[in-house]
Amino acid sequence: MEALALIQAYTGIGIGLIIGLGAAGACIGIGIMCASFLEGAARQPEMIPALQGKVFLLLGLIDASFIIGVGLAMMFAFANPLLSVVSQ
Amino acid sequence: MAALETNQSATQTYRNMLRWQAIAMLVVALVAGALAGMPAGISALLGGGAVIVGAWFAAKIAEKGQSQTQATAVLLNLLKAEAVKILIVAMILFAVFKLYQSLVPFALIAGLAATALFSGAALAKSQTPV
Repeated sequence: MEALALIQAYTGIGIGLIIGLGAAGACIGIGIMCASFLEGAARQPEMIPALQGKVFLLLGLIDASFIIGVGLAMMFAFANPLLSVVSQ
Repeated sequence: MAALETNQSATQTYRNMLRWQAIAMLVVALVAGALAGMPAGISALLGGGAVIVGAWFAAKIAEKGQSQTQATAVLLNLLKAEAVKILIVAMILFAVFKLYQSLVPFALIAGLAATALFSGAALAKSQTPV
């Protein structure tokens, strides 16, 4: 019983770290890319339409790590594989 | 004329992205299904499908703002699209984890990861040089 509570507690901390650090990393990446886009647009405004699609794709790539992190966090929240060790 | 062409190429880029994501999802689902059975294949399809549905909504929002000429307006529109995408993916994943009883979590994560990462594959097919 104590082991179960311990695993759940550490899993909760892990989920928080996965979501929090993933969100922080994605936000830093998006911030850097948006700053570069605005800088590029200020230098060459005619390039804005051409850059738009690429910015969208790169936003998706930067967010991919966060989305994978969300999926992993949900796996640990709803179908925690570590709990099977205790239940056996 | 040039603006129309770039708008068409951006739309083409979004379509390429969705196509690559669908291919990645199907490949992972087939591999998962062959290795671990039908529930694993369905789980991979659900994981990849969540990302594809989110990306489709995001692409629709991004397409709406293509005619904007101000950089800040374009950027805000793209960030709005990305926020909607994350929200939709999180909601679908939550529903899948709650409702699908015979879920294979590792297959779902594999489908999700492959589909999310392959969104960048459309960059290689991009026609407009920058």
